[in-house]
Amino acid sequence: MINRFHILNKKEKNKIEIMLKNQFGIKSIPGILIKKGAEKIFLFQGNFNEKQIKELEDYTQIERIGLYFAKIFQDKQGQEHIRLSIEGSQILSNQITKNIFELNESQSKKWMQGEELLIKTGKKGFLVMKYKNDFLGTGKASEEKIGNFIPKSRRLKSKEIIK
Amino acid sequence: MKRKIPEPKPLFLERIKKLLPDKQDFEKYLKILKKPPVNSIRCNLLKISPDKLKNRLEKKYNWKIKQPFNNYSDIMIIQSELQPGELGRSLEHLLGYYYVQELASMLPVLVLEPKENELILDLCAAPGSKTTQIASIINNTGTIIANEISLGRIRILASNTERCGVTNTIISKKDAISLCKNLKKQGELKKIEGKGTLVPYQFDKILLDAPCSGEGTLRSTIRTYKMWNINSIKKFSKIQKNMIKSAFEILKPNGILVYSTCTHAPEENEEVVDFILKEFQDSIKIEPIKLPIPTRQGITKWQEKEYLKDVQLACRVYPHVANTEGFFLAKFTKIK
Repeated sequence: MINRFHILNKKEKNKIEIMLKNQFGIKSIPGILIKKGAEKIFLFQGNFNEKQIKELEDYTQIERIGLYFAKIFQDKQGQEHIRLSIEGSQILSNQITKNIFELNESQSKKWMQGEELLIKTGKKGFLVMKYKNDFLGTGKASEEKIGNFIPKSRRLKSKEIIK
Repeated sequence: MKRKIPEPKPLFLERIKKLLPDKQDFEKYLKILKKPPVNSIRCNLLKISPDKLKNRLEKKYNWKIKQPFNNYSDIMIIQSELQPGELGRSLEHLLGYYYVQELASMLPVLVLEPKENELILDLCAAPGSKTTQIASIINNTGTIIANEISLGRIRILASNTERCGVTNTIISKKDAISLCKNLKKQGELKKIEGKGTLVPYQFDKILLDAPCSGEGTLRSTIRTYKMWNINSIKKFSKIQKNMIKSAFEILKPNGILVYSTCTHAPEENEEVVDFILKEFQDSIKIEPIKLPIPTRQGITKWQEKEYLKDVQLACRVYPHVANTEGFFLAKFTKIK
């Protein structure tokens, strides 16, 4: 097994589930979780089990397993936090019950252009961003604003093309 | 803006004339090359239903959208005039609700008919249009191994599978022939050792959308006019034969292999089909193909070579016949 990937065991997965439950009310994650590097968590829902994935790596170079789903962060106090990718927020949308921030149309456009939003939410920490039925990943709320994590490749490119 | 279309090379024209001997047919072909392909998208069923997507895009962007095939409501044609790149810049595209994909490029997966819970190998997977199409159809069940040799193209593949919410795929980096040989060898070794294999190194379905000279993409990729040369056709033909042979060896009994290219060159198409039918004559069957667009059958004679009669069951997709890009498809079953 190439060390770049680490398939989370039951205990490690449980830890992620607890973090997601505390942050967003998510109860369970259906599938195998894989850690790549120190922070990135991938979700695999295919029908290969852990042993099969490991064996496959003996015969080919595996570049990715499943989908980038969440990222773990440590704050200055050493406490761990989790934020969901756009797809992570979409896949678990049915389970997200708290820390959802409903955007209006103009905010959603700014959000998808990668801008931080100067909004006082009264909350601190990660919020799932939502516009109507679209789940748009997570932002980090501080006193004055919501920080944006939309990757460049997923941003609306310019104002002119937005209709 | 008017597109500047270069003159096709004389040898290319000579060859196409042989494939399309009817003068009117040939002229229709040349005429359509000057027109860009229709704007088509495929709804990503993993994220949104075709009805919802169609309504949303029509309402929001005022696009006129047609679903040309009753059985494939995920396939949509945008009939409105669009700005260059407009389809790729919408919010719905960025959120992975649809994939911008040329109609002909959707055909191999329709022929493959992937089913839920199958183990599927997409041997030359980048940029991911077909991998994401398979995942969409099988609803993220089963497992897809999406292989690609180039790291640069793997990045595009990974970005597309991610945008489309594909969770059942393992992306592998290996040259296609070595990957198949490794899987075959290791599967056999384990069998001899009596340990059994953890990975079932035989696939229910294999898609070999092979690297090719790209003659079928002239409408969208104008640089193909300049890049075309007969030597690359010969080179690709050799690689394609090695690829299809290696792929067929790791197909399950009763498994299905679909071979496709986006070229018209018989050396890369019927010659490859003829080769694989002769190579595995006792264990292979070429299947008839049903497609929702008009196609033509495979040819059985090209220059000095004659191919098996069954090669006719393969499909030629000509741009002037179905108003698509050019493509070639063949479907095989492993019978032993």
